Amino acid sequence: MTDQPILPPDEDDDLLAAEYVLGLLDREERALVEARLRRDATLMLRVEDWEERLSGLNDDYAEVAAPNLMPQIEARLFPQAPVARRSLFGNLWAWGSAATAAVALVAYLALTPAAPSYTAILTADAGGLKYEATISQDTLTLTRVSGTDADPTHSYELWVIAGDNPPVSLGVVPGNAQTITRPGLAEGQTLAITLEQSGGSPDGKPHGPIVAAGKLIAA
Amino acid sequence: MDDPIAILLQKTATQDRAAFRELYSASSSKLMGVLLRILSQRAEAEDALQEVYTRVWLKAGRYDATKGRGMTWLISLSRNLAIDRLRQRSDHVSDDDAMEAHADPAPRAETRLIATGEARRINDCFATLEPDRAAALRGAYLAGLSYTDLATKFDVPLNTMRTWLRRSLLRLKECMGS
Repeated sequence: MTDQPILPPDEDDDLLAAEYVLGLLDREERALVEARLRRDATLMLRVEDWEERLSGLNDDYAEVAAPNLMPQIEARLFPQAPVARRSLFGNLWAWGSAATAAVALVAYLALTPAAPSYTAILTADAGGLKYEATISQDTLTLTRVSGTDADPTHSYELWVIAGDNPPVSLGVVPGNAQTITRPGLAEGQTLAITLEQSGGSPDGKPHGPIVAAGKLIAA
Repeated sequence: MDDPIAILLQKTATQDRAAFRELYSASSSKLMGVLLRILSQRAEAEDALQEVYTRVWLKAGRYDATKGRGMTWLISLSRNLAIDRLRQRSDHVSDDDAMEAHADPAPRAETRLIATGEARRINDCFATLEPDRAAALRGAYLAGLSYTDLATKFDVPLNTMRTWLRRSLLRLKECMGS
């Protein structure tokens, strides 16, 4: 009897999904699974099956009264307060409104041997809109990886949200790539792209729906 | 549909803020229980709760009621977020503290008495496993313990724990009727 069962790849993947759902994996292993889940629908189905299979254990979680945190949550999502002056950059590209309903965001940490850096991948479920944001030291590089083009009546606008503060505009997203010097981008902050009127929000506050958003996670 | 949480999630997906508030009222105590069990620290659990509902607003459109109950989806989202936070803690001491804080992986009798059908089924299947392996699986799911944490807790080599649990998972799947 061997110590490690030899498993066909299918079964191995199914166990990997189970280990991921249970929370058995360490940080690096989890990151690898999460990277695969973004493009591997079969693995995603296995994960969903295990979530369902193990859901009977959820009865063991006791209810604990939570304070009403809705004001803070709504302040993050639907800011009303005035925000810092928006810096428009680049030309006013008109971008198409793809889908706004379902937005997925996956942010993951990219470790490079040199300087600490973060990477966020912003995607929308429908419309194929996808951006990659890379932050190294004080420079944010935003690259459009895929997505539909242009409805001339709208623009995409990028925001950064730090903690409970209102979003601060980083400007309209122009074209396929953009580099912004922005000190202070750090772990826990959220990057979000909203759909605004052509040329961007007129008053420095987001008005349109969020089409992609995500949190920066640091080492 | 006999799933009020699912209905609120579907309304939230249409940017219905009133439904979103109602969803918070209806589900935040359960999710707070999940986050506190895994993270052990009240302040961090409250911070995580805000992040959970922020994500719920952004991702509600991905919830598919044909695949499972609304509360199951919310708990999966909360567990993933809490486990990610737990693994990001670089300070290993706090992980040990966290393990001390929730050292009750055994099934509780009173939980079994009020258990739902699903819970009864999984508890019956857990009963077919060796008790320490069932306890390890439960600790992983409920408290977010990793293979490394469990190997330390049960004082066995990491690979032994991995082999135990992978075999147990195969048996569990078979018992649950795959």
